[in-house]
Amino acid sequence: MKIDHSLPLEYSTKQNGLNIFGFWVFLAAEIMLFATLFTSYFTLEHRVGGGPSGTEIFEITPVLMETLILLTSSFTIGLGVHAMRIGNKKAMTAFFVITLLLGLGFLGLEIDEFITYIHEGATLQTSAFTAILMLTLGTHGAHVTFGLFWGSAILMQLKKRGLTKETANKSFIFSLYWHFLDVVWIFIFSFIYLKGMM
Amino acid sequence: MSELFPRKQIMGFVFSLVLTAAALAVYFLDLTFAQGITVLLITAFVQALLQLVVFMHAGETEDKWIIYGKVYFMIGIALVTIFGTLLIFLWDM
Repeated sequence: MKIDHSLPLEYSTKQNGLNIFGFWVFLAAEIMLFATLFTSYFTLEHRVGGGPSGTEIFEITPVLMETLILLTSSFTIGLGVHAMRIGNKKAMTAFFVITLLLGLGFLGLEIDEFITYIHEGATLQTSAFTAILMLTLGTHGAHVTFGLFWGSAILMQLKKRGLTKETANKSFIFSLYWHFLDVVWIFIFSFIYLKGMM
Repeated sequence: MSELFPRKQIMGFVFSLVLTAAALAVYFLDLTFAQGITVLLITAFVQALLQLVVFMHAGETEDKWIIYGKVYFMIGIALVTIFGTLLIFLWDM
């Protein structure tokens, strides 16, 4: 396959460029997935029935911590891609490991948050509000969980095969996915939590 | 060591923290709903744009306008879905 050395490694072949382009198509579809969840959330958020409302169960401290952790992980994976582009595999691996650990920390906080909600009587079946809240948060959380497995698999491949045009391509695509999850979280943070606590 | 921390990415990170702090104003200050939602809309969309341009490298290849076009089109459809539904179900229009 023809390799163009004027481009970064992850873009170096036609196939690599197409893979990245295809992933952007997937991300556009993901925007729509989360848009439908937000639509349902905004429609149902005041239908609390006999259960608690957002103002009663949302807490600023864990939510702010989750936000800062995810923002930092988005920054570290950005540094990882930069390290990859200057050919520093060691630094790249370190940044990717930090990113995944931050992702694990985020997930731990989110699981703790769900347990707190359930103890406060806000379960999936309590009201339309709690159901759509947990479905929206859960869909994002499931994406992060999938990302942790995906990222770990890429790290293993990177260790085994080194920095090739394939592994660079996969790592870059994974970074796109991770930044996208951060963007989705920003909207959850703003329009579910902060709006709910306003 | 310093070549591992490019200025562009550090500035992007600092700016994203500033935007998060600005969004927190709606929690700590006593704003009206209209003021609060305006702050959130601005901080959230600027934050998303920042991630897209600085961290996702959306504009660096030849197909940049196809990528931007696709993303903006999808955001447009998303907004139509959200506000169209709100219009019918919540605002009774």
